[in-house]
Amino acid sequence: MSQTPLESGTTNAANQRYSAGFEQIREHYFRTGDPALALEARTKLVDSIVDESFREFLAPVWPTGLAAITVGGYGRRDLFPYSDIDLLLLMDGAPITPERKDALSHFMKAIWDAGLRLSHSVRSVEECTEIHIQNIELNISILDQRFLAGDSALYAQLMAKLPKFIASERQQLIRQLGLLTRTRHDKFHDTVYHLEPNLKDGPGGLRDLHLVWWLHKLRDPLKNNFDYLAELEEAQLFLHRLRCFLHFSAGRDQNILAFDAQEEYVDLPFIHSPTVAGWMREYFLHARKVHRTALQVLEICETPASGLLSQFREWRSRLSNSEMTVSRDRLLLRSPQQLEADPELALRLARFVAKHGVSLALDTERRLREAAPRLEEHFAKPSQLWNYLQEIFSLPHAVLALRAMHDTGMLAALIPEWRLIDGMVMRDFYHRYTVDEHTLITIENLLNLKKEQQGTRINFAELLGEIETISILLFALLLHDVGKGAEGSSHSIEGVRIGKVVLERIGMPAEQIALVLFLVERHLELSSVMNSRDLSDPATAEYLAGRVGTIEQLKYLALLTYSDISGVNPKAMTPWRLDQLWRVYIIGHRELTRELETDRIIAPAGVTEEVAAFLEGLPMRYLRTHSREQMEDHAQLAIKSAKLGVGVDIQRDSGVWRLSLITVDKPNLFASIAGTLASFGVNILKAEAFSNSRSEIVDAFTFSDPSRNLELNPSETDRLRQILERVVLGKADVRTLLAGRRKAAAPSTRERLRPSVDFDNQASEHATLIEIVAEDKPGLLYELANVFSEASCNIEVVLIDTEAHKALDVFYITRGGAKLADEELGAMEEKLLAVCRV
Amino acid sequence: MKKIEAVIQPFKLEEVKEALKNIGIDGMTVSEVRGHGRQKGHKEVYRGQEYQVDLLPKVKLELVIASARLEEVLKTLVAAAKTGKIGDGKIFVYDVADAIRIRNDERGESAL
Repeated sequence: MSQTPLESGTTNAANQRYSAGFEQIREHYFRTGDPALALEARTKLVDSIVDESFREFLAPVWPTGLAAITVGGYGRRDLFPYSDIDLLLLMDGAPITPERKDALSHFMKAIWDAGLRLSHSVRSVEECTEIHIQNIELNISILDQRFLAGDSALYAQLMAKLPKFIASERQQLIRQLGLLTRTRHDKFHDTVYHLEPNLKDGPGGLRDLHLVWWLHKLRDPLKNNFDYLAELEEAQLFLHRLRCFLHFSAGRDQNILAFDAQEEYVDLPFIHSPTVAGWMREYFLHARKVHRTALQVLEICETPASGLLSQFREWRSRLSNSEMTVSRDRLLLRSPQQLEADPELALRLARFVAKHGVSLALDTERRLREAAPRLEEHFAKPSQLWNYLQEIFSLPHAVLALRAMHDTGMLAALIPEWRLIDGMVMRDFYHRYTVDEHTLITIENLLNLKKEQQGTRINFAELLGEIETISILLFALLLHDVGKGAEGSSHSIEGVRIGKVVLERIGMPAEQIALVLFLVERHLELSSVMNSRDLSDPATAEYLAGRVGTIEQLKYLALLTYSDISGVNPKAMTPWRLDQLWRVYIIGHRELTRELETDRIIAPAGVTEEVAAFLEGLPMRYLRTHSREQMEDHAQLAIKSAKLGVGVDIQRDSGVWRLSLITVDKPNLFASIAGTLASFGVNILKAEAFSNSRSEIVDAFTFSDPSRNLELNPSETDRLRQILERVVLGKADVRTLLAGRRKAAAPSTRERLRPSVDFDNQASEHATLIEIVAEDKPGLLYELANVFSEASCNIEVVLIDTEAHKALDVFYITRGGAKLADEELGAMEEKLLAVCRV
Repeated sequence: MKKIEAVIQPFKLEEVKEALKNIGIDGMTVSEVRGHGRQKGHKEVYRGQEYQVDLLPKVKLELVIASARLEEVLKTLVAAAKTGKIGDGKIFVYDVADAIRIRNDERGESAL
């Protein structure tokens, strides 16, 4: 079907006139880039052709009882170069004679012959003023009606009835519009950030602009002030100019902004952006504004007068505090001008959103946008922004807050480096979204894991429960692709460079910075192993373990990779890939567990002789998890231990306590220390025990002190140290210490984890590997260690981690310097399970 | 014309694609599949739970080429996909009756 006027095949006068007029419009557009004139001129041109045809064919046989009404875009005088001509033929009830029927078909043919795509409907006044749920578009299109030709008295009847119809069906029309809009947005995953957006139907496209316009016409003048249209003028001009181009350049009603169209458009003389990427950012800025405004105006207009929902809204308003108020489910500032004097108010606002899940009001969004420069100036200096962000990240509606911060430019003001990827386009067939949107989606993916109840994703959901600090991952995700906005061969390396500056400025503790930057640097590691290495080859496991370093880091990376791949496009994480990624995780986990016992430090370089002698024979893990200062401190403790038999150090560090204890190996050692800690009522979070070549044991415990006994009574720390020394030296008995303690009650009534005990006699040449997963409880570690002591076993290596009531324990056990016999594993398992179950 | 269907190790995909590109073969269909031939599945143990992997992850390539190029393409494919170990995969070759480019109705080898 041909749609170009010149190709319509006829050479009648109307066709020639339309073609000539169309050429002029086209020429003027490409000279000036002015869309308003193009739309206006085409409307006039089409009006004259339709009017002429009406007079020629319809007026003679239909002196009264018929009116030609323009509707839809044509009614609004927004006729884009190849838009359809929407015409409503309004009729009275008189029957259509064969003569009139004939005239009608001549009329339509004349319009088609002129080269126009006519889309018409024939209705009575009554039909126009009753609701059509199945065809709500009809009701909506009449909102844009405009009289063109024919019986003006008939038109006047319609105009008399229309306001009453709108008044009585207002809420129904608005509800149906809302349904249409949300269905339409869902088709585009409800985001404006598509690499090849649809300018008409996509979120932030012209349909959203029309929505605001229709709601303006449907609004209840008593209830709704309406000042949104003026704010959208600039975006409208931008979108109109662009759509004219897409039509002219395709020669049809083309609304998809494809890659090649983007390139052509930016080369036009009236487009002043030097690059496609830069111009696309402008596009996203406008689209974002249209999208958000449309949704908010829709929500405001949808507010029902009464009912449960409004009571809920009322309840919401009780969340209001001295700075913020919740009105109609939207967050407002009591005195917005305060943002100027106190820019941190913006962060308290974001925290409120994250805590209560209330979105910002349009006015609040505007105030934040205006306050952005002040915010940027305030946080340009080193600050404690990290504290705020970490808190926001930990709240239930973190993603909502993050999106609000992104949309108001607040995120870019707080972290100007964000601008490197703000609205940044990735030009490949794999990515669906811009880099900023991809980044936010990865964070959503991660947090949505919490809701996973079954399926393969549950594995990753469980991992999420095993990591120490989720905000580490969120910061890593936020920064993982920021390097894409910088020059450089590797965006991971650039990401580390940029991330370091950001994290130091916002005041993140150095230890956490190191971890976040490690994750940014290695964020493609698991993908690359998955895609380019033979997973069944033992060399792959070793390579992976070397790149990842520790089990903890492997968990972070697995979750990061899961979120990253899932955020490329909605279908990127196929079940096949999910399985592959899990396999990579399992392989890495097994290798890192194996290496605990087998890979020992040999002849360490670059340290003092004292430290080197201490390090010799410790697992490689020790090097990866300790700083140089910590190694030196431990070497000193070893010296103390050599003199006095034991060296103990207890320190408080960011909310938890850390115990380091060094001594020569002796029976029951680990159980005694765990028991002593249990007798103090502290809660063991992590524990490691390794031995070096001199048979010195390094025990490291991280514990919390729920009763705050150590914190409130400084002498208690000394007492704990002394008792530990006495227990290790055999001067005190841990059983006596524990006898005084009451047996702790079961922690809670919620669903208990089923304990599992797994033996592996292949992992190491010398020792039996035992992995235990169990519900954590006070004294668990002591009781487990006791099972080994009672069986005359020696604990060679221990790695314990506890997260969210789950204890993950790895032991390497020997007896008489050898592995346990396979026959006795069953009995041992029974004993260990018995301890876990109580 | 011949259709080549190759089931290969996932980690060899990039190498194979690159090798085919070097001899001027760009068009192909790639799918993520699972299966096994003589290489049977194996067990992975994670925290005492056994993950029985019966069907191993593989990648399937499908491409249609001019008959004259068959031996050259097969040689390239085998060379790039081979590790020499069990599980390297298999290649199947079929005769193709015709090909049609939907855009412009071109037929036969010129549609490839």
